[in-house]
Amino acid sequence: MNVSLIWWGLGIYIAVSVFIAFLSRTGKQTNMGAYFLGDRKLGGFVSALSYSATTYSAFMLVGLAGLTYRGGVGALGFELIYLMGVSLIAFFGPRFWIAGKKYGYITPSEMIGDRYQSKAVAIAIAISNCLFLIPYSAVQLAGVGYLLQGVSNQQISFSTGVIIAVILAIVFAYIAGIRSVAWTDSLQSLFMIIGSTLIVLFLIHELGGFTGFFQQLETSHPEMLTVPGNGYFSFLTFIGLTIPWFFFSISNPQVSQRLFMPASLKSMRHMLLGFMIFGLIYTFVSIFWGYSAFLLEPGLDNPDLATPVVLSSSAIPPVLAVIVMVGIIAAAVSTIDSILLTLSSMFAKDVYGNIREDTTDRVQLKIGKFIIPVIALLAYLFAELQLDLIAVLSVASSAGLIVVVPAIFGAFFWKKGTAAAVLASTIIPGALVLILELLQAKPFGLASGLWGLILSTLLFIFVSLFTNAPTQKANEFIDYIKENLQNKKR
Amino acid sequence: MKEKISAIIIGVIVLAAFIIPFTLLKEVEKWYGSFLFWLILTLIVIVCNTMLIKDWSNEE
Repeated sequence: MNVSLIWWGLGIYIAVSVFIAFLSRTGKQTNMGAYFLGDRKLGGFVSALSYSATTYSAFMLVGLAGLTYRGGVGALGFELIYLMGVSLIAFFGPRFWIAGKKYGYITPSEMIGDRYQSKAVAIAIAISNCLFLIPYSAVQLAGVGYLLQGVSNQQISFSTGVIIAVILAIVFAYIAGIRSVAWTDSLQSLFMIIGSTLIVLFLIHELGGFTGFFQQLETSHPEMLTVPGNGYFSFLTFIGLTIPWFFFSISNPQVSQRLFMPASLKSMRHMLLGFMIFGLIYTFVSIFWGYSAFLLEPGLDNPDLATPVVLSSSAIPPVLAVIVMVGIIAAAVSTIDSILLTLSSMFAKDVYGNIREDTTDRVQLKIGKFIIPVIALLAYLFAELQLDLIAVLSVASSAGLIVVVPAIFGAFFWKKGTAAAVLASTIIPGALVLILELLQAKPFGLASGLWGLILSTLLFIFVSLFTNAPTQKANEFIDYIKENLQNKKR
Repeated sequence: MKEKISAIIIGVIVLAAFIIPFTLLKEVEKWYGSFLFWLILTLIVIVCNTMLIKDWSNEE
């Protein structure tokens, strides 16, 4: 692909999004609630688009397309089961929202800490989230690096791509906090979906329409339409990938924090349904993209390169290719900036705010703003390490975050859960996941996330049975939500 | 729709999404095999969600 065309595409994208970010600066963001949660007044439309942009990262058109390229239809099943898992919002969303309003929570870890009456819980969850989400952001940054390097035929270096992405993420997060993130996310989600849908329709047309497309697969590569298919998606691999992602909407704080933000439950309803429709379309676009890459350029050793290779091939008009490239970069940046903001709010509120006595909201906001570029720098350094296979690392992060799931279920549904149980069920399985990932070990064929979830559930239940629950808080918290859940429905 | 009923329906659909493609549809090497099956299940889940949350009010 022509390098000057790439720079033009990037230039237009950067100019328009920075302009939008500045436009979003309304009102004064002088407190944590305003800067990190938009005063809990986000409308349904922006919430839906921003939630989509935050959830869907470069993983979709690079990693998921790569998985399709490598293993066929199993990739679709994996991603759609994730989408089904977003139904958890229908159950947890209103509970997060009601509790957030009542107690003024800024972060999910603050909520869990308060519910179990333990500062240590809030600190532990915040730190473990950072531990897993910084690599996740790094993977996104690396995705941009590989992409630009690939489409420009090595003329734009890996580091240049990574630096562009990290600076954009910092700018979008910094200008007006969640407000600039939500607005630029909304714009970026449109870049993501419109460009990629157009190009996939174009490719399918070129490959003989939907009928011709599937005929080619059915006759030449029928194994791409079944699981385990060519053997890549064995059942154990499939559940190892899928289960951590199934809980993504409540285990990943950059999305669960969004449950505090809608102005009303009606806005949250629009957010959830809007997201599901966006997700369904974007999933199919990514899968078709992976299949097209497979039909056009079979035989690549590294499936993560499928996307850059197809983008720079002659099958696609250069202008369309640049639009998709910008869409992928937008997907990465819109995920990273939200993670930056969430992690810095957690650091300020849960780590700094709990360790230092008597900090004010103003001081925490200052710390939060200060920490944004620090976290970005860490992600940048991690990205420069250039680790392999994007999908695997992303999943490793979800595997690490999944250990909080039993504590979240307990917070809303089990009055006997205790702080000691939360600590045991997050720290020990979190460490186990880390060790398994470092050793690349899969005992009994089960992936790290599954071990993390099993161990964390067992520890949460058993330790709770032998320690004292914060009964008064548990009753007050769960009963308040129960009462208000009825009232908030028409 | 009640929460419990929805949770059961969605749970059963998710289980089916794990099991059926690896068993009944294992040999169906066509677009109307696992590919269509997962699409239909997802659409059903979206409809369930729509029904479950249709009463969420605009009270702030």
